[in-house]
Amino acid sequence: MLSIISLSLFGILNLFLGFLKSRRVLLPATLLFIALAFAANLLDWNHQYVYFRDMLRTNNLFINFSSIILLTTFLTVAISRSFGTDEEHTHPAEYYAIMLFSVVGALMMVGFENLIMLFIGLEILSVSLYVLTGSDKRSLRSNEAALKYFLMGSFATGIFLFGIALVYGATGSFNLSAIGSYVSGGPTTGISPLLYVGLLFILAGMLFKVSAAPFHFWTPDVYDGAPTLFTAFMSTVVKTAGFAALYRLLTVSFTGVYGLWWQVLTGVTVLTLLVGNITAVYQSSVKRMLAYSSVSHAGYLLIAVAAKTPQSPSAILFYSLAYSIATITGFAVLILVAEQKPIEGRPDERYEAFNGLAKRNPLLAFSLAVSMVSLAGIPLTAGFWGKFFVFSTAVDRGMTNMGMVLVVAVLMSVVGVYYYFRVIIASYLKTGDSEPIGIRPLYRFILVLTTALTIGLGLFPDVVRQLF
Amino acid sequence: MNVNYIWYFLTFLTLVSAIMVVVVRNPIHSVLYLILTFFCISAHYVLLNAQFLAAVNVIVYAGAIMVLFLFVIMFLNLREYTAESKTNLVKLGAAVLGGVLLVIIVAALRSMQIEPLNKATYNSQVGMVESLGKVLFRDYLLPFELITVLFFVAMVGAVMLGKRETGERNF
Amino acid sequence: MPYLSLLIILPLLAALLVVFLPNRNQTTFRWIALVASLLNFLLTLLLFFRFDKSVAGYQFVEQTDWITLSLGPLGVVSIDYFLGLDGISLPLVLLAGLVLAIGAISSFEIKQKQKAYFALYSLLSASLMGCFVALDLFLFFLFFEFMLLPMYFLIGLWGGERREYASIKFFVYTFLGSIFILLVMIGLYLSVADPVETAVAMGLVPGKELVDANVIADVQNYLQEGRIEADQIVHTFSIPYMAEPGNYLPQSLLNIAADHVLFGQSARMLAFVLVFLGFAVKLPVVPLHTWLPDAHVEAPTPVSVVLAGVLLKIGGYGFIRIAYGLFPDGAIVFAPWLGGLGVLSIVYGALNALAMNDLKRMIAYSSVSHMGFVLLGLASLTSEGVNGALFQMVSHGILSAMLFLIAGVLYTRTHDRQLDSYRGLAARMPGYVTLTAIAFFGSLGLPALSGFIGEFFTIMGAFNSPYLPNWMAPVATLGIVLAAGYFLWTLQRLFFGEFWSKHEAGLLTDVTPRERLMLVPLAALALMLGILPGILLNLTQSTVGEFLKNF
Repeated sequence: MLSIISLSLFGILNLFLGFLKSRRVLLPATLLFIALAFAANLLDWNHQYVYFRDMLRTNNLFINFSSIILLTTFLTVAISRSFGTDEEHTHPAEYYAIMLFSVVGALMMVGFENLIMLFIGLEILSVSLYVLTGSDKRSLRSNEAALKYFLMGSFATGIFLFGIALVYGATGSFNLSAIGSYVSGGPTTGISPLLYVGLLFILAGMLFKVSAAPFHFWTPDVYDGAPTLFTAFMSTVVKTAGFAALYRLLTVSFTGVYGLWWQVLTGVTVLTLLVGNITAVYQSSVKRMLAYSSVSHAGYLLIAVAAKTPQSPSAILFYSLAYSIATITGFAVLILVAEQKPIEGRPDERYEAFNGLAKRNPLLAFSLAVSMVSLAGIPLTAGFWGKFFVFSTAVDRGMTNMGMVLVVAVLMSVVGVYYYFRVIIASYLKTGDSEPIGIRPLYRFILVLTTALTIGLGLFPDVVRQLF
Repeated sequence: MNVNYIWYFLTFLTLVSAIMVVVVRNPIHSVLYLILTFFCISAHYVLLNAQFLAAVNVIVYAGAIMVLFLFVIMFLNLREYTAESKTNLVKLGAAVLGGVLLVIIVAALRSMQIEPLNKATYNSQVGMVESLGKVLFRDYLLPFELITVLFFVAMVGAVMLGKRETGERNF
Repeated sequence: MPYLSLLIILPLLAALLVVFLPNRNQTTFRWIALVASLLNFLLTLLLFFRFDKSVAGYQFVEQTDWITLSLGPLGVVSIDYFLGLDGISLPLVLLAGLVLAIGAISSFEIKQKQKAYFALYSLLSASLMGCFVALDLFLFFLFFEFMLLPMYFLIGLWGGERREYASIKFFVYTFLGSIFILLVMIGLYLSVADPVETAVAMGLVPGKELVDANVIADVQNYLQEGRIEADQIVHTFSIPYMAEPGNYLPQSLLNIAADHVLFGQSARMLAFVLVFLGFAVKLPVVPLHTWLPDAHVEAPTPVSVVLAGVLLKIGGYGFIRIAYGLFPDGAIVFAPWLGGLGVLSIVYGALNALAMNDLKRMIAYSSVSHMGFVLLGLASLTSEGVNGALFQMVSHGILSAMLFLIAGVLYTRTHDRQLDSYRGLAARMPGYVTLTAIAFFGSLGLPALSGFIGEFFTIMGAFNSPYLPNWMAPVATLGIVLAAGYFLWTLQRLFFGEFWSKHEAGLLTDVTPRERLMLVPLAALALMLGILPGILLNLTQSTVGEFLKNF
């Protein structure tokens, strides 16, 4: 709770900092704000609180999820750059403020105890992202992406809201546990059919936000069009928050109708895995590949949700953490490499831009390789354990239920190796004329940190797992 | 009895005007139909004993937002909307999906049982400002306050995106 | 002395040393790698002499806790750093020590990016050794899968023209296999309890060192009767515990007694098939072999040597230790299928080898054929068959290393491996001819050389096996006939007749001392094992005897 309040205030403070002559102070100030929110968040460790008449519930799970969100935000902000030299026309203060506000939304989605809170959280997060997507105003792609995201996102929100209304109509409450006791307690007249329709609509809305197939069509265009920094932000924070919310909603409120949403989710999972992975193979741009890869990782996360075992939350947590760290590393390297040799003023995001990277920029190439290996799920990296835990939940649920999903997941993780390794092939095996790239100390530190985290979590997953 | 007829009439009007919003080609007509739709919905609210909501709906949607819409459309001088032609496959897919959705909702509604109104316990003041205010500022205080963040983001974003830019790229 | 850890740590240290030494002295890197691999080889010899042949169980055991994960209401899973050696793994460790040392010598011809090469080579050595000594399934899997990365780069960076294609193909194929294994591994650890640690968790005994056989039996009884709370069960990846049916949770997915059914199949059978597929890619078994010729053709000589000499053996080792060790029921049910696939590999590989014009491709297909004997021998589930399969693995390791070195000798001189580019080399390269002849005759199964013993025993096993149909052994002998065909034909095409070559005659010099240093010991060893097969068979037989009691 303290973190939500403090982040809201810090966001406003950040806007005021924008009045200062020197823009230098903004980045450290924002980082400090996020760190403070992180610390405020940890204060409640091992306590259970319910705030404001059952609106928000904080417990260790909330703290874990919000810590991951804050950590990824911290990393993303840290790799943001000086926003150009043209002081008059850039708005770093506003960008940072919007990012902080969007985290408020994400935290609401993690800790909600009431559907209204979930809806408002989702809206704050989405609206912030619409703005951030369109922030590169001179790029036609960015504008198009923002508009597309806005239109489709609003539509999804509408469906989501309709779903909430129907569930309210059936149960007479917005409160998660009240809905839960209605669903599992079994009212005398039987569960109202409105609830099923409402649940399906809510699912559709949420699945849209986490870009699961068949609601993923916006993802590649939006991720591709948005400035790379914000693509990194979107593909990590939204996913973590979205899956935390989805899991919480489904397990607290709708355990009673597991048979219904389990079927929907497994179907969506299989489709997401297939679409995400197979389409990623055919991309020629690394950024688009990462966009589709984020679709495919939504599929893996969905496995843990659909399995709904006691291990599921920790599996989702670990997977989100591993995925977020590796994705941010990948995008961080992409930002630097793509700007080396712009084509017609646009960053070169093709695979070819990475050719021969290892020779002149060993650090970049190594971080990139580790992050790709982690995304592919190869042992001794965090990504492997993420996959391991997710698959464990599915096996634990029972092969009769999850067997088909597992088979697809296994085949698709092999497909994943192919496209993740294309980046490694380009940077290590191909020759190119890349120049040494200057990296600021903070940026370098973040790269080293994320790479070390990826390997460290791969060697000693139990250190973090104990917290979950 | 009388109220029932009003309800049927209003619902019919709502649906027709909503369909017209989508169907008519002139954007200004479209907005006018939308205003009509909002009025009809407000009338529904009145039937449901939610007078405050009805008033707010008229003022905010039918009044402020729609005027803004009209203003923008006239400003941009959009006379006729030329529809892009979609392929038949897309049309077919959309029709099938929409049809399925319709069937699901209708089926759900048909098998639904609505509890009759209990006159003894019914509170006729439920839709008034007073009870709404109590709920809003007691039970839903936190979401109410946090919505300010949403508005703030929207405001900052609108200003930032709307501002004319010259010079170089931001990122 | 933690001998087995040293086997892994030595090459790892070498890799680290190579990485952190400055780039100036490129030549020091190869010496570091060589010294590390020679030390490792000496260590394996030491293990050989210290090994107690009469004991069937594991020796030189090392065990420490590594990762302990809480599964909430499902209890705890403990992953151990657990190493050990028995009669099945010792011959393969010996082989790996030898071949890796030879490979390190052969690597002296690598001239580009030496730092990266020798770091990766040492890393590969460490993970290969780790595979053979790991007794924790998770640890095994880790080595098994991590090995792909250095191998991928070794082929991809120092390979031939189509190296990118070959390396990614190698990676994707083996990765698919290992993901199958991962799935079964998850099923296994959820099904198996560690009786020792569970006893401690239940509070039956205060510490692990106080657990004796009685306590273990008690815990197993409690477990089977369902009298242990779920959150007190310590799940384990330990291979020895997984091999005991008593440690399986009642009603768990892979418990024999529970007999779960998935997709209309028994869960254990399905698990056996998945593990089998995982290792079959490595072995390789036809039709999963297509990565092998490509990888071999593109890989540089030392990498080919390690690939054929050690890497393929992990497939066979995995069959024995994991597929057969943990799912003996599956092995019996599927014996005719496995035997059939073995025979198919033998014949198909041999026929392909016959048709090849590229020397390396020919050898690669001969590998497919020879590894088919391993599968056939294992499938027979007889003492002769399994001992013979182990022997065949070692023998093929030695001989295929030789064969690839021989192909490398030609390639370093002319960069041409096509058989029709040469004729009558005997006149110019007499030493080369002798060594090649030994390798060829050894491979085609001439008595008094090692290949004969392996093939003889496996075919004998197939004859005597109650599980295999009678036609398999005769068809497998067809493979030997074909082998004689392609090896002798190659010998004739390359060496006999009038000297002729596409290339300058001056290029074709006889074997250098360094090449001799690699080839002669291998040839001597092939001869020694052919005459005194007891050296190896004594090592394996008591463990194999114990192993076969499961069937």
